[in-house]
Amino acid sequence: MGVDDRRKFLAYCLGGIAAVAAAGIIYPLFRYLSPLSSQLESSKVTIPEGAVREGEANFFQYAGSAAVLVHHPGGALVALSAVCTHMGCIVQWQKDRQEFFCPCHGGRYTSDGAVISGPPPRPLPKLPFAVANGIITVG
Amino acid sequence: MSIMRRIFRWLDVRIGAGEIIEKELTGYLLPPNINIWYSMGSILLFLFALQVVTGMLLLVYYVPDADKAFTSVTAIMNRVPFGWLIRLCHVIGSNMMVLILFFHMLSVLFMGSYKKPRELNWLSGFILFLLVMSLTLTGYLLPWSQLSFWATTVTTNSVGVIPFVGQYLVEFLRGGVLVGPPTLGRFFALHVAVLPAAVALMVGVHLFLLKRVGISAPPFGCAETKNTWQGESYRYEAHPGGIPFFPDYLLQDLTSIAVCMACFFALLFFDPSIFFPKDAFIPADQFRTPEHIKPEWYFLANYQTLKLFPSEIIGLAVQGVAILFLALLPFIDRGAERHPLKRPLFLLLSIGGIMVWIGLSIWGHYS
Amino acid sequence: MILSPGKRTLEKLILTCTFLFMTACPVVAADTAGNVCVQCHGTLPGRLGEPVAQWRGSIHAANGIFCNGCHGGDPNDSANAMSPARGFLGVPKENAIPAFCGRCHVGVLQSYQASAHATAQGKEKPHCVTCHSNHHVVKASLDLINEKSCGRCHSYDVARQIKEAMAGVETRIGMTEQRIATFKGKGTDTSRLEQRLFAGRNRFHSLAHVVDVNLITKNTAEINAELDAIDGALEDFSKLEGKKKIIGAAAIVIVLAAAALLAMYRRTYD
Repeated sequence: MGVDDRRKFLAYCLGGIAAVAAAGIIYPLFRYLSPLSSQLESSKVTIPEGAVREGEANFFQYAGSAAVLVHHPGGALVALSAVCTHMGCIVQWQKDRQEFFCPCHGGRYTSDGAVISGPPPRPLPKLPFAVANGIITVG
Repeated sequence: MSIMRRIFRWLDVRIGAGEIIEKELTGYLLPPNINIWYSMGSILLFLFALQVVTGMLLLVYYVPDADKAFTSVTAIMNRVPFGWLIRLCHVIGSNMMVLILFFHMLSVLFMGSYKKPRELNWLSGFILFLLVMSLTLTGYLLPWSQLSFWATTVTTNSVGVIPFVGQYLVEFLRGGVLVGPPTLGRFFALHVAVLPAAVALMVGVHLFLLKRVGISAPPFGCAETKNTWQGESYRYEAHPGGIPFFPDYLLQDLTSIAVCMACFFALLFFDPSIFFPKDAFIPADQFRTPEHIKPEWYFLANYQTLKLFPSEIIGLAVQGVAILFLALLPFIDRGAERHPLKRPLFLLLSIGGIMVWIGLSIWGHYS
Repeated sequence: MILSPGKRTLEKLILTCTFLFMTACPVVAADTAGNVCVQCHGTLPGRLGEPVAQWRGSIHAANGIFCNGCHGGDPNDSANAMSPARGFLGVPKENAIPAFCGRCHVGVLQSYQASAHATAQGKEKPHCVTCHSNHHVVKASLDLINEKSCGRCHSYDVARQIKEAMAGVETRIGMTEQRIATFKGKGTDTSRLEQRLFAGRNRFHSLAHVVDVNLITKNTAEINAELDAIDGALEDFSKLEGKKKIIGAAAIVIVLAAAALLAMYRRTYD
């Protein structure tokens, strides 16, 4: 095999490696720059509107953790994360006080998730939801 | 292939592309006894480009705000697809760059390439070294972790021992009495704009000097190892009969880069947290000093030196003198001999110096 | 060299902090700066000063809960620090201790009130401090249940049963905690899992204060299911790590092959 043939062979091999390397760079780059929203599977939870009575709160699983839907007296709905912002315990609903209460360190939140007292550093995050045809869709 | 030839011809007749290739690539002859250490510069150029590209990509998701920086970095590492890869490339790339920079400087040192007429090459390289160190320092703060916060507190604080202006200088660096959101603002600007631009500029100067003065021949494998240039007039050091940069040495450069990348990937995929102590993943808390904070490996010797001296100002002054001595080495060491074995005093001092540096680093690591 | 946190102000501490000091700084170094309770009581001898030293080693200190967190008062104003107008409560009476601690540890208080400890007749009911001590309160563990401690009031039989019923879950919690910490140390975002574990552990520990073996056994399945879920998530992280290693090995092989080919190509010019 002459030098030219050898060079040609090596060049083909190197070209192949370069193609693999290019693919190995372009694919992660494309994924990295793709819009995040289309990649995170949006989990949705549906609850019939009648399931939550006025003045009550309905707890459910949402995106791998606890969430809660509150039906205010008067009709307004609000969906919140039920995970206490202090240490991550699940808050409890106190119907008589219309408040959320965390049993771990006594954090208290309003029915809208705002902190009343105790150690929680932030309000309970609100979750997006929509009501259509008597069905509440959270997410 | 003929389409490529036609494009080349089209360019050649217009801008004289062939002449450039002849002069800068195929006709750019390097010393015949050139060795692998001459490819360190190319590796560094490659790593710098990698840092620029991964840095730009990180900017897509990074938020330079004290409240959001840590969360944004956590998101890059966990939520953004391949974000971990980009960030790890940037982190490991920076460490690799410092390591190769050391190799580059050591090879220049041992081959006596810094000697006249290449004082400016050394000086511009030394400035590049300081710029890279500044880049690592400023970049360290950006993730806004406990590690970032306290390492920056300590490093900026050491400036305070400078007589008279020290305290003001500390505040000026921090943008306030303590490290805080204003510090992040200025370090961010330095890290992503000022310093990279400065590095790019100095790389230009460094390469210009290299091309203007001509590349030095290694002092190995030839009878005459003394510097022949007497300073009488400008002379380009040519190497007639040497090996062409293209394709010969370029292939060597690429080989070195590929080997370097193999080490790079080995670290990235098999010991990804090698450069991350636990505190790197805890958000900054100015009310909680972590128990054990150590600087990055390349600052361990400085760290240990500071601990050794009874007063900070002496510790800092000693280091300042050492850095100044190294920066001005070509003006201090003016002997014509370049072969390390024919320079016993130099050999003793440099090997001793390296031993001390390694020893201090190990000591600093285990102390 | 150890800094004495009480004697330095925050500013002074940080300004004088150098690499020299960094290695020896205690975990909570800057916290107590400017806290008049700690500053004053820290220097007092005997009964009035001891609580500060005890508190320093407590889980409260580690989590940034200061004197006023329990005793009320104003830690920023030395003149009115112990003024009832600023909410100062002082030392609770012995029978008021459960309510005192229960202001924060609500779930535990609920369980305790349902327990034989709380409903026991007689003057000397055991309360929080009996087992957990007061200022030097540390992270709760099964070690708190031991013959010496329980034996002060009654036989160890029931206590031993409770300890044995809890042991399996306790060990699992400890192991899961370790695994989470390992992943966290590698940059994995474990905050969600940490929270779930904390919530589960807290529920389990709260219920234990009813001191009822049956209740603990009943609850074991529930907490184990939660631990299974957390361990499953950690397992996913492990699998991802394994995948990354395979990709990494492939990348290394490719660049090494490139290096070899380039070196051969170069030799064709020799």
